[in-house]
Amino acid sequence: MATYIGRRLVLLPIVAFGVTVLIFALLQFLAPEMRAAAFITNPNQLNALPAIIQKYGLDKPVHIQYVNWLREVFLRGNLGWSQTARQPVRQAIGSFFPATLELTMYSFIPIMIIGVWLGTAAAVHRDKAIDHVSRVFSISFRSLPSFVWGLLILMILYGRLNWFPPGRLSLEQDLFVRSGQFHFYTHVMTIDALLNGELWIFLDAVRHLAGPVLTLTMISIALLVRITRSSMLEVLRQDYVRTARAKGLDEPVVINVHARKNALIPVITLSSLTFVGLLGGVVITETIFNFPGIGRWGAFAANQLDIPGVTGFAMFVAALTVLGNLAADILYAYFDPRVRLQ
Amino acid sequence: MNWTRSALALLVLTLALTLVGTGIAQGQATRNPDTLVLVRFGDPETLDPAYSYDTASSEIILWHVYETLIFFNGGSTGQFVPMLATQVPSVRNGGISMDGKTYTFRLRSGVKFHDGSTMTVEDVKYSLLRFMFMDRDGGPSWILLSPILGVEGTRDDKGALDAALFNKANQAIKTSGDTISITLESPYAPFLSIMAQWSMVVNRKWAIAQDDWNGTPLGVAKLNNPAKPEDTKLFSQGNGTGPFKLAQWDRQGRQAILERNTTYWRAPAKLARVVYRVVEDFGPRRLMIQQGDADIVSVNRTEQSQVEGVQGVRVIDDLPQLVMTGIYMNLKIDTSGGNPDVGSGRLDGNGVPADFFADVNVRRGVAYAFDYNTTIRDCNRGKAIVGKGAIPAGMFGYNPNQRWFTTDRARAEAAFREARGGQVWANGFKFSVAFNSGNTTRQCTAQVLKSNLEALNPKFKVDVRGVTWAQYLSLYRQSKLPMWIIGWAADYPDADNFVTPFQHSKGTYGSAQGYTNAEVDKLIVDARNETDAAKRRAIYFKLSEIAFNDITTIYLQPVGFQVMRSWVRGWYNNPAFFGPYVYPMSKS
Repeated sequence: MATYIGRRLVLLPIVAFGVTVLIFALLQFLAPEMRAAAFITNPNQLNALPAIIQKYGLDKPVHIQYVNWLREVFLRGNLGWSQTARQPVRQAIGSFFPATLELTMYSFIPIMIIGVWLGTAAAVHRDKAIDHVSRVFSISFRSLPSFVWGLLILMILYGRLNWFPPGRLSLEQDLFVRSGQFHFYTHVMTIDALLNGELWIFLDAVRHLAGPVLTLTMISIALLVRITRSSMLEVLRQDYVRTARAKGLDEPVVINVHARKNALIPVITLSSLTFVGLLGGVVITETIFNFPGIGRWGAFAANQLDIPGVTGFAMFVAALTVLGNLAADILYAYFDPRVRLQ
Repeated sequence: MNWTRSALALLVLTLALTLVGTGIAQGQATRNPDTLVLVRFGDPETLDPAYSYDTASSEIILWHVYETLIFFNGGSTGQFVPMLATQVPSVRNGGISMDGKTYTFRLRSGVKFHDGSTMTVEDVKYSLLRFMFMDRDGGPSWILLSPILGVEGTRDDKGALDAALFNKANQAIKTSGDTISITLESPYAPFLSIMAQWSMVVNRKWAIAQDDWNGTPLGVAKLNNPAKPEDTKLFSQGNGTGPFKLAQWDRQGRQAILERNTTYWRAPAKLARVVYRVVEDFGPRRLMIQQGDADIVSVNRTEQSQVEGVQGVRVIDDLPQLVMTGIYMNLKIDTSGGNPDVGSGRLDGNGVPADFFADVNVRRGVAYAFDYNTTIRDCNRGKAIVGKGAIPAGMFGYNPNQRWFTTDRARAEAAFREARGGQVWANGFKFSVAFNSGNTTRQCTAQVLKSNLEALNPKFKVDVRGVTWAQYLSLYRQSKLPMWIIGWAADYPDADNFVTPFQHSKGTYGSAQGYTNAEVDKLIVDARNETDAAKRRAIYFKLSEIAFNDITTIYLQPVGFQVMRSWVRGWYNNPAFFGPYVYPMSKS
């Protein structure tokens, strides 16, 4: 097991390296002026284009730019300056990630619980009311893009009811956490609020999380329901399930203990991908709810051709993906002893 | 059958949510009465007054954290009132020397910085020199370098610092007692406008203590052209004399917070706090102003109808602004390398040659064909005027009686028939008009132009092409675009800041268009140095006349609008402002 994990971890730097090579390889298709885009924010600066290109070496061959970047990374431990985040890349990842982590934590739990439960129920009660209802909901949630759901939820739950505002905290709460009376332990607002014993901050943070969490749950749940259902249906047809039933075991035991555990393999694959996807940032949901997460920054950096920003962000997501796959592999072994990790 | 059920379920859900919603009244009591919340769509680049050259940055620091020697009088861009100086220099009061080159300011006494120390003339000198010698590529330093030293930058072509310049600047700016005098390279009429905007005073001792520039010539190399905005110590902290102190700039939470300066040299501000937040998406921004969580929000012209009629929200329209949008014709297109915007690159009906627009008749044809009224009505919601040359209406030097183009199909046809000995009319052409993608106003303008030109002659073909900002920069630099649309916003409110980029052969747009007119270049310099207002105005009139005769650019001047809660008091507009001046504002 340990060797297996070790081997997979060795992959990390290789994938990260591959990602950076890929990004720099793509850069050679861009003209130097395009690479300067992140530095020109105002048409009045147009005359300075040649100077800016020279200053940042943007007209140098792309392999030289890559070597320069690598040298920064290895000699100074510096991923570069992100012009779009207005801070160094490493600091930007560190500062945007906790918000995304918080969003992921709170969305992933309902996605998993509701998804697996609804999928199981739909399989067990195939062609009954619950099967139809779960199908209808999951398909209709999935059938509209996330920005439509996000905007609808925002318009109704904030614009009309004023229950769940966008952002991370309301003004009064926000000013309080900045006043020096509040200590940031994790930068995950709900956890920090509880650690500080400030229940009102916690509740306000939850209010702000509700909208994006609801949106993410709605759009992510459909696949999980459908996969759980089909996987369950397949397992329920297996001989050992029939045997278990023939032995006279209670139906809940057959479903929850015998059948479900084995049906979870594809669900684990999907949920690990969902989890990594959420952690890598959900651009549209973060943008609509003005939630200062990492996805919004990553997309903005890409849009502005903020090269150090995009490279750092891509490495981060690559690392997440490798780790997410590793976690899924370990979970396979746990749920299905037939899977041997050697 | 499943679909009937699904539709039904959705309907029930929607109805339930809507019913719950309609029952709730919206609270209209003033929210956060001592805090003004401004919601924008872009982050400031830096809060350093010598580095910042974007509206989002200047809006926060200018006149709030840092103040200038003089200030604009109310909504006027040409009249000034004292701010950190005790009077506005003029030839009459002896503040401006007879030769128009030396400006003397007497400093207000007893003005304190945010850390409690007293402002002196040394702080002013330090601040001006710091502004000039930071000179980052693409930064604002040229605004002072140009009039005071007669140079546009502090470095040569290879990027090496010109060591002699600092001494020259040190000589040009002299302090004595409580006065500071600035001697210009040559008389420069817009200098007071520049001082009203770009003479922000920072606390010298404090800045040195923060390890910023040490004030000596030796320190200039380190100060000059920092690699990134964070390299300057005033990037995210500040210490000025203004009515608000910079409390925090949170780049992760994307907001800057200012707090009232209780020891301000005038009466303290009415508001205790100002919060500048960034919300990129218009949806939440709109809902925030509707709910009162924002007091002032940025809204594009195309989104205006969505904030009109919202209870408690005020839309103030028809605000003059110092912005000019140009539709540029390129006299020297780079047609090499299979440039897709010029088609075949020949005048064969499927393209245009490099010098297509070099013929003034082609340019006149375009200017007469363009449907100004439709563009203004459909693309600008009626909120723009046709510019008669580069100088915006309302600014000194603008000539309301200048003859200008109106939509005239017959004249357009006549001009095109005459162009290139009739070849243009006989063969037809094909080229693209480019705009920066996402800007729907410019896209619409390009489409109007396309339909106008194509209606003249079936052989005239125009493509409308949206390009990203990055692509635009590249194509612009290489002179690849035959026609493109983009705006210019004033660096300081003076006609010189418009005729230079638009008409000078080395100006930002003039050079990109390959436009050279020796007379124009000379007139622009003459106007700069002319201190007699009447003579100066006459030169600008002449420049507008040449703009008409040479017609290289079609000008449209959009007017602005502001969206704020009706409980906001004390707001007023000055076209020279980068954002609301918060000091006199309050909420009730």
